[in-house]
Amino acid sequence: MSLGGRLMRLGFSDAARAERMLGEDALVAVAGRPVASAAGPDDAGWGPGAVPDDLLVALGAVADPDGALLALARLAGAVDGDPDLSSQLRAMLEPGPARDRLLAVLGASVALGDYVVAHPEEIAVLADPTPGTGVPVVAVRGELLAAVGADPDAGTPAATLTGTGGVDAMRRAYRRRLLRIAATDLVAPDPLSRLPGVAAALADLAGAALEASLALARGALPDHGAGVRLAVLAMGKCGARELNYVSDVDVVYVAEPVDGYDEAYALSVGAKLASALARACSHPSTEPALWPVDAALRPEGKNGPLVRTLASHRAYYERWAKTWEFQALLKARPVAGDRALGEAYVAAVSPLVWSAVSRENFVEDSQAMRRRVEDHVPATEADRQLKLGVGGLRDVEFTVQLLQLVHGRADESIRSRNTLTALAALAEGGYVGREHAAQLAVCYRLLRALEHRIQLVRMQRTHLMPTAEGDLRRLARAVGMRAEGAQGLLDRWRAVRREVRGLHEELFYRPLLPAVAQLSAEDVSLAPDAARARLRAIGYRDPAGALRHISALTEGVTRRAAIQRQLLPVMLGWFADGADADAGLLAFRRLSDELGGTHWYLKLLRDSGTAAQRLARVLSTSRYVADALARSPESVTWLGDDADLVPRDVDRLSAEADAVLTRAQQPVPAATALRALRRRELARSAAADLLGVVTSSTAAQNLTAAADVLLCGALRIAEHEARAEHALAQSPTRMLVVAMGRLGGREMSYSSDADVLFVHDPMPGADPPAAQAFALTVATRLRQLLGDVGPEPPLAVDADLRPEGRNGPLVRSLDAYAEYYGRWSSPWESQALLRARPVAGDTDLGARFVTLVDPLRYPADGLEPSVVREIRRIKARVEGERLPRGVDPTRHLKLGRGAVSDVEWTVQLMQLRHAGSVPALRTTSTLEALAAAAGAGLLTHDDTRTLADAWTMASRLRDALVLWSGRVGGAQADVLPHDRQALNGIARVLGYDAGCGSELEQDYLRTARRARAVVERVFYA
Amino acid sequence: MDRQQEFVLRTVEERDIRFIRLWFTDVLGFLKSVAIAPAELEAAFGEGIGFDGSSIEGLTRVYEADMIAKPDPTTFQVLPWRGERHGTARMFCDILTPDGQPSLADSRNVLKRALSRASDQGFTFYTHPEVEFYLFDAPADPALPLVPVDQAGYFDHVARGTAHDFRRAAITMLESMGISVEFSHHEAGPGQNEIDLRYADALTTADNIMTFRTVVKEVALEQGVYASFMPKPMADNPGSGMHTHLSLFEGDRNAFHEPGAQFELSTTARSFIAGLLRHAPEITAVTNQFVNSYKRLWGGAEAPSFVCWGHNNRSALVRVPMYKPGKGNSSRVEYRALDAAANPYLAFAVLLAAGLKGVEQGYELPEGAEDDVWELTDAERRALGIAPLPQSLNQAIEVMEKSELVAETLGEHVFDFVLRNKRREWDEYRGQVTPFELRRFLPLL
Repeated sequence: MSLGGRLMRLGFSDAARAERMLGEDALVAVAGRPVASAAGPDDAGWGPGAVPDDLLVALGAVADPDGALLALARLAGAVDGDPDLSSQLRAMLEPGPARDRLLAVLGASVALGDYVVAHPEEIAVLADPTPGTGVPVVAVRGELLAAVGADPDAGTPAATLTGTGGVDAMRRAYRRRLLRIAATDLVAPDPLSRLPGVAAALADLAGAALEASLALARGALPDHGAGVRLAVLAMGKCGARELNYVSDVDVVYVAEPVDGYDEAYALSVGAKLASALARACSHPSTEPALWPVDAALRPEGKNGPLVRTLASHRAYYERWAKTWEFQALLKARPVAGDRALGEAYVAAVSPLVWSAVSRENFVEDSQAMRRRVEDHVPATEADRQLKLGVGGLRDVEFTVQLLQLVHGRADESIRSRNTLTALAALAEGGYVGREHAAQLAVCYRLLRALEHRIQLVRMQRTHLMPTAEGDLRRLARAVGMRAEGAQGLLDRWRAVRREVRGLHEELFYRPLLPAVAQLSAEDVSLAPDAARARLRAIGYRDPAGALRHISALTEGVTRRAAIQRQLLPVMLGWFADGADADAGLLAFRRLSDELGGTHWYLKLLRDSGTAAQRLARVLSTSRYVADALARSPESVTWLGDDADLVPRDVDRLSAEADAVLTRAQQPVPAATALRALRRRELARSAAADLLGVVTSSTAAQNLTAAADVLLCGALRIAEHEARAEHALAQSPTRMLVVAMGRLGGREMSYSSDADVLFVHDPMPGADPPAAQAFALTVATRLRQLLGDVGPEPPLAVDADLRPEGRNGPLVRSLDAYAEYYGRWSSPWESQALLRARPVAGDTDLGARFVTLVDPLRYPADGLEPSVVREIRRIKARVEGERLPRGVDPTRHLKLGRGAVSDVEWTVQLMQLRHAGSVPALRTTSTLEALAAAAGAGLLTHDDTRTLADAWTMASRLRDALVLWSGRVGGAQADVLPHDRQALNGIARVLGYDAGCGSELEQDYLRTARRARAVVERVFYA
Repeated sequence: MDRQQEFVLRTVEERDIRFIRLWFTDVLGFLKSVAIAPAELEAAFGEGIGFDGSSIEGLTRVYEADMIAKPDPTTFQVLPWRGERHGTARMFCDILTPDGQPSLADSRNVLKRALSRASDQGFTFYTHPEVEFYLFDAPADPALPLVPVDQAGYFDHVARGTAHDFRRAAITMLESMGISVEFSHHEAGPGQNEIDLRYADALTTADNIMTFRTVVKEVALEQGVYASFMPKPMADNPGSGMHTHLSLFEGDRNAFHEPGAQFELSTTARSFIAGLLRHAPEITAVTNQFVNSYKRLWGGAEAPSFVCWGHNNRSALVRVPMYKPGKGNSSRVEYRALDAAANPYLAFAVLLAAGLKGVEQGYELPEGAEDDVWELTDAERRALGIAPLPQSLNQAIEVMEKSELVAETLGEHVFDFVLRNKRREWDEYRGQVTPFELRRFLPLL
């Protein structure tokens, strides 16, 4: 075999270059052996190259053989001419652990390779078999302090080396030890089990570097800062003793005056020391900087003073701090400076940390934090991030910390700063399942190991998986996945991410299930107190009730209970994401009681993750939909398929209604069937609206379509009945139902009545009084069919907008309308007719009716000034009179300030005045008319947007009220509630984040106030 | 229970406090108080004390009467005028809705929100008020002419003067309550005094002003005189204002200070002033909230009636005080329209919002006024671009009504309440037939 072939087989990628380097004199000088012993495995065919094959095999074993060989060749060049170092290196290249360490480092880290080449004397560190992990922290501290000439035993060590020299000495000592840690890490047979030791060693080293930097800072002051006690507390990963190779080191400083010194003086010297310390670690010097020292976790963040006294810290945390700050404080650990002061700080803040769970808004804050953890990933990095995003390192840490905060209040044994230790303690204490905790720990270690290996290459702070094939291959080799290669590594990593997410549910929610409902003996069940604490912390207001529902759903030997044991943990989390977790769980229990026996229900939930998640969302957010699903449980199937949630269009609904009527024998059951059809469509729209499958304006059109179809069908039944009643074979007159109001505008809400006019037109030769009597029977019967109390929800048919209102006849002939409008019509009638839209009955009659009313509603010459004045006066009067007594006008969504009616009157006045000349204004839709007015220059774009926003928001709020409360109609149906829980619930329906009820309230009041200003300017001007 | 709360409980025990008054402020700036016994204190810290808010101005509407007052333990103070034994103490409260959310109607919460917006941009807001008030012989009967306690003038030392004793007693009491007084002297009007509170963060200052008004009234009562913060109690004598020095800090650094710049004023300070000026008319209904306030604003005698600024110009609305070299942290601007009858929480909130708006949008600061703007003619002022402040409460309401800034700052609820309340006040005022009219017109018409 050729040398090139051998190298390829050993794992070199660029064999030609490797071959060239192997021949370099300097390398041969240190690595070569007498030719006689250099025989290859097969024969001596590529013999006298002089570099022995066992070295090639050893190079082939490291993560990056090419890189290792290159670094080795450069190192050989660097020691060339120095007999001492040359012989040292030659000795190291003999087979043995020293060679393994050297090659492992050179093969894993370009940066450390460069460092060794620049400082060849450091190979002694790699020759030394003392491990870099498990070293007492005192020893590391002593080593770095000694490097800057400070006395490790002094109370406040101060460096005798100062200036750049001191900084460089500290940094070299740091890197020397880093080299040792990396070597120990890289030769470990199982990197995952070595990981905690490595991370702890890195944290101790960072702590020692901070201590030495503080000594440098003190050394630079004339009196060594004698008047101030300064403690440096590490936060974050350093505080938790789980640091990675390159990371910002998070710190907080506490300063106190030494007796006899002034506090202000101590703070100013303390601030000087702190800044000098940070400079020693992170400012450029001859030796490269270590890492940024980040003090942003201090009170008031970057705007707060760098150094505070203990009392000042405490005052801040007691008064101002936010929940996330306590989560950060969980990690605080004194690492440098005055030990006693550091301990005092921890003692002062730790009671606050462990009572944070009882703070107001803890639930909302922690939910918001969770969202931040999950969402803050730049899109371009989403599939490369190890740290952020769902299933990343931060996700694991967050899960563990949240469990610690919830249960650590009562149980001190789980208060460890360290993620892995805490996780083990949580399992030990019975707060999470052992098996799941162990799995999560493995995931965490793997993610951290990947992060370490990636950072080691160039000693860069990065949390991104590499993308180049070569880099991925090297990474796979570095974490012992040589055989799996790049693709295997990616697959494994993605699997881990998914597993982390699943484990979160298992760890958090599974233990809430009662013991008898656990899937395996490994699972734990929380004690009742702990279970209640956990349920409360995630947003259940009645934890005791929730526990009862959980038991009822999961206990027993039925198939239903078995499947629900699988499903419930994750659903508990989804309910908690909704507006009312308790109601969601209760509704789910009801639904399960109803449907648990059917074969498809549980199968759907088990097999379709989407359906289960959607079910949890609608049940916990909308009582309306929860009731609708309880009413017709088969609707749950829609949740599995978007196509089922898309509104049925009018044609499809009409065909269905037609089929119902064709089959029907009896009028009332037929009408009931149609009413059921509408109920089903209401539920469908509601679910689709909540789940964001359709927009709310589409939902409104869907609701209108259902009402349209219902009216058409009911008219058919009513005519049929009237013919029977009047003993006629043929109807003596043609009937027409004209939609008015929101029905006419296709803007129906869940609680809208159907405003209509009834029109008829006697057949040629029919007796007019008989025709009128017949038409009256039809209209009356239609209203009964739809409005009477029955098993299905009624649709109130309201004809009060007819000529002469309630005093006029319920139905008139077209001629009577013509005569009436020709003689009596008032401005408000023209205004109401703007929304007239024939909806059911004779098409031709509909067209004639439209022709009749068009000149009234779209007067060719606009309106007389006196009429405009009259309309304004009526509106001004109505504002005061129609508002229910005691309702705050700013909160009434229909008649209030800047609400629906304000906008509609404004639009309608514009239509009456200008639709004669602007055809685009001839529409029954408010929003279309607004857009047309803007298009015709009648309204500025800003004003148009203001009015459209207010109208849309008020309409959506009215819908949201119904969806949230499940109540249709009633005195409060049009009033923005004061009750905070209701506001929060409505806000969730509208897609606000949890706990944003006040924000919604402010948004609406602001929107309406602005709209009112436009109304006053445009309508009343 | 945190340490501050423990401290309060301990102090109550040690000092034998028998009553604790929970203080809060209604939307119009009137102090409200509810007393609880020490036994209830722990519950008050935990869940707060429920009370019926329906009859308190602007706090609630009738159908949501139940409110919760939650004491802020950092504001605990023993009330010195209640005697040493069996004492009484007070704490300021935050007002919460029954479900524990901060009430949108609580003016202290309005200021807290404004401060937290500033803090999001890295600023802390400090204020330093100079409170003026009159001392009259008691009882001060509205039906009779007012009799000031002395006839002295600005900085006059009055031998054995009532006012002198009064100020000493008031300051001693304020200091014993932890409120530092910087300065005090006799003001220009007969019986008129000024006491300057030391600068502090705006929330503390607002709390202090509420305490200050109470203390002054209490001390006056003890000394048999009557103290009044009415903006203009006597037509022919100067009104009582509350000139307030404002500054922003970024951490420990005064953000208004820039060495070497004109008047040592940073860009931040310049756009902050520009913000104050541009929005001054719309915030006036808050900073000068009563019909009487406008008699002071338009009563001459250095009253800041015109929207302009000047370096050490005592007729300008915003004055930049003389800079003392080496005192970088004392850079500040003085807003001179504010009067002592304002609700300090709301007033500071709108002042901060106006200034910050200038900083956010980088408003350009117009030319400063060097002349006494009162001496200029209307045409001159117009030429110089100097606009007047609203001339009456009615005008002020009209401008405020259109203000997004004020609505955002006060929140929709308080905004709406203030407008309604002030309109009603104006209507009632307009309905009066005044002695002036009778004197002038009855003989003629």
